[in-house]
Amino acid sequence: MAAPMSSVGKHSGDRPANTTSFQKKTRSKLISIAGTRPSVQNGQLLISTGVTSLDYVLGGGLAVGTVLLIEEDRYDSYSRMILKYFLAEGVVCRHELFVAAAQDHPNDILQELPDPILDDIAFPKPMEQHRPSFEPQDNLDAMQIAWRYQNLPKVQSALASSSRFGHYYDVSKTMEPEIRLTAKCHRFYAPEHHTKSSPTHSPMLESYSALLKSLQDVIQREGFDVAAPMSNSRNILRIGLHSLGSALWGDDLCCRDNPTQRHALTNFLYGLRALLRSSLSVAVVTLPSHLIQNTALMDSITRLCDNAIALESFKGSERETNPLYKDYHGLLHVRQVPHLNCLSSQLPDHKDLAFKLKRKQFTIERLHLPPDLSERVSRVSRGELAGAAMAGSGCGSGSSGNKHLDF
Amino acid sequence: MLPELLQGSEGGGFLIIKDSTCYSGRHLLRSFISAALKREEAVHVLGFEVSEEELKHGLKGSATERLHFHNAYVDPLGWTDCPPFTVNQFTLKDLEHLFNQTSQSKPAILVIDSLSWIMRHLSPPFVCRTLQQLKKGGAVRTVIGLLHSDMHQQGVVGSVCHLATSVITVSPGGRGDEAVAKTTRRLKSGKVTQDGEIFSIKEDLSVIITQGKPSLPGPKGAEAEELEDPTVNLTFNLLLSDQEREAKEKLALPFVFSKEKKTALLHSGPGSGRILYEPDAADDYDQEDPDDDLDV
Repeated sequence: MAAPMSSVGKHSGDRPANTTSFQKKTRSKLISIAGTRPSVQNGQLLISTGVTSLDYVLGGGLAVGTVLLIEEDRYDSYSRMILKYFLAEGVVCRHELFVAAAQDHPNDILQELPDPILDDIAFPKPMEQHRPSFEPQDNLDAMQIAWRYQNLPKVQSALASSSRFGHYYDVSKTMEPEIRLTAKCHRFYAPEHHTKSSPTHSPMLESYSALLKSLQDVIQREGFDVAAPMSNSRNILRIGLHSLGSALWGDDLCCRDNPTQRHALTNFLYGLRALLRSSLSVAVVTLPSHLIQNTALMDSITRLCDNAIALESFKGSERETNPLYKDYHGLLHVRQVPHLNCLSSQLPDHKDLAFKLKRKQFTIERLHLPPDLSERVSRVSRGELAGAAMAGSGCGSGSSGNKHLDF
Repeated sequence: MLPELLQGSEGGGFLIIKDSTCYSGRHLLRSFISAALKREEAVHVLGFEVSEEELKHGLKGSATERLHFHNAYVDPLGWTDCPPFTVNQFTLKDLEHLFNQTSQSKPAILVIDSLSWIMRHLSPPFVCRTLQQLKKGGAVRTVIGLLHSDMHQQGVVGSVCHLATSVITVSPGGRGDEAVAKTTRRLKSGKVTQDGEIFSIKEDLSVIITQGKPSLPGPKGAEAEELEDPTVNLTFNLLLSDQEREAKEKLALPFVFSKEKKTALLHSGPGSGRILYEPDAADDYDQEDPDDDLDV
């Protein structure tokens, strides 16, 4: 029975002794890298953001070479969570990471990564090389009826999980340091790069130009450039930029209606996108858009990024007590989807999405009104209806209409 | 939540009191100062807006030894030859130098009166950066700042409050000297809690929380009543008594082997067969294309 070997791109070093030398013909010229898959729509190489429902909203995943802009919610809880999911997915898929932040040190962000759920991810653990043959005796009393299944791992998945696309994470636990240290991380902490240099008239702020320079160095040094000589092992660089545009980066975009250097951030994003298009990397940028007063500038920032979503959490607003929203933690608005190498893009079916952060999953669902099962349906006051109509304007379900037709 | 913040049990925070022309937050600020002095902590005050006498009015005599007032009221912009404290000295190095001059055992509390004054004369990104450095570094334990929300653009207020761990917004209350305080607090775990209280400040600068919250968040009490215990009022018994539980545990289950047989079955010895399976490339079939013949 012929056992075909793996194609170019997978580790060719470990060839088991009893396989033949038949080689499977590669049917595409795509580089096959762990943790990626080609898109079914346009053949782009996609990676997972770490949140499977967000992958679905973005049309299968994030295309390599693009930027995802996340407009932060008011207290930066959920956008930070998505950034951590993105980086944790990078660790699980063995990609390289680059984290830049101005508020907290990147090490703090890296220490808060959520724990992946699957058991049999093949991480190089130096201690446990073999099956647990030397378990202590008291474990036998663990299960009384189903004792034959004691030694099996708790969660099983079909194949080697690192070749899967999209994993699940447990938010209540943080990732083990051994797992985290298997991935190579580059860090950029903005206050460390703050130098009192003479203000030469550059179109970008010094913190942004230092960040761009650092990114360029990492990409060229580690060989993520597409133009670099083709080697067998290519990898993806995942770039996470936290809270770009906030005052701690030295930018007064959030402070004023007419910032003094209005094109600093837009120039940076332009340079970032050019850098990404010519390398195997993906960037996720979070931006405190609720502080930006200038809507024209916000629009141009959105245009310069490929994917753009906005998170609006209910915490602290009057929507928190609205019974419509009691199942969800916030709304998710898709501001832009990219059209890469094609004329039109895949728009999401539903525009009214709401998200909810559960312990093991970050779900994004279509916002729908709960069924109105109360007996006093026809006597709902006008005030409540007005609130419901304002919020559910895109919902499409008819319960926000008048209730006079009650049979 | 206001009493907890006044206690100041957790350090390392940045607290902002946001006020407006309708109600001044300086009374609350002085309550914070007096509470800190009562806790025997050293307090450094950068006073830009009011003079020293006015700020110290009402504070007890003995405690004011620990209060170090840096007089920026007299000459904040350095127009005279030797100003005591200018606004340009609001940098991390100068402030640390200031703290080191007064010898103390533990880090102090820095009170800024007011942040708005500093923001008028220094650029907001610079102020935010300095505040972040103060918050992160070990020079001070807590930073308390007074911010006049109607003096700045919304973006500036938002940017500074974004850095803060707690924000107290004060506004006039219903009657007399009562005021409403809405507190937003960000805990280290990332959780955000909010609260609203009506308070009033007495002569000796202690804060009294009066009963009656300004706006209740919603009928949350109704939900708790609906969850009843389903095991009550049944015609059959769902629970076990102690005797019954013992009897249940003593029951011998089928297929229960002795310990030796169990271990023999569980841990297969070196001689028995073992299945080693490594998933091949051929097993990794595409879910959308099982026959591998579509041209995607």
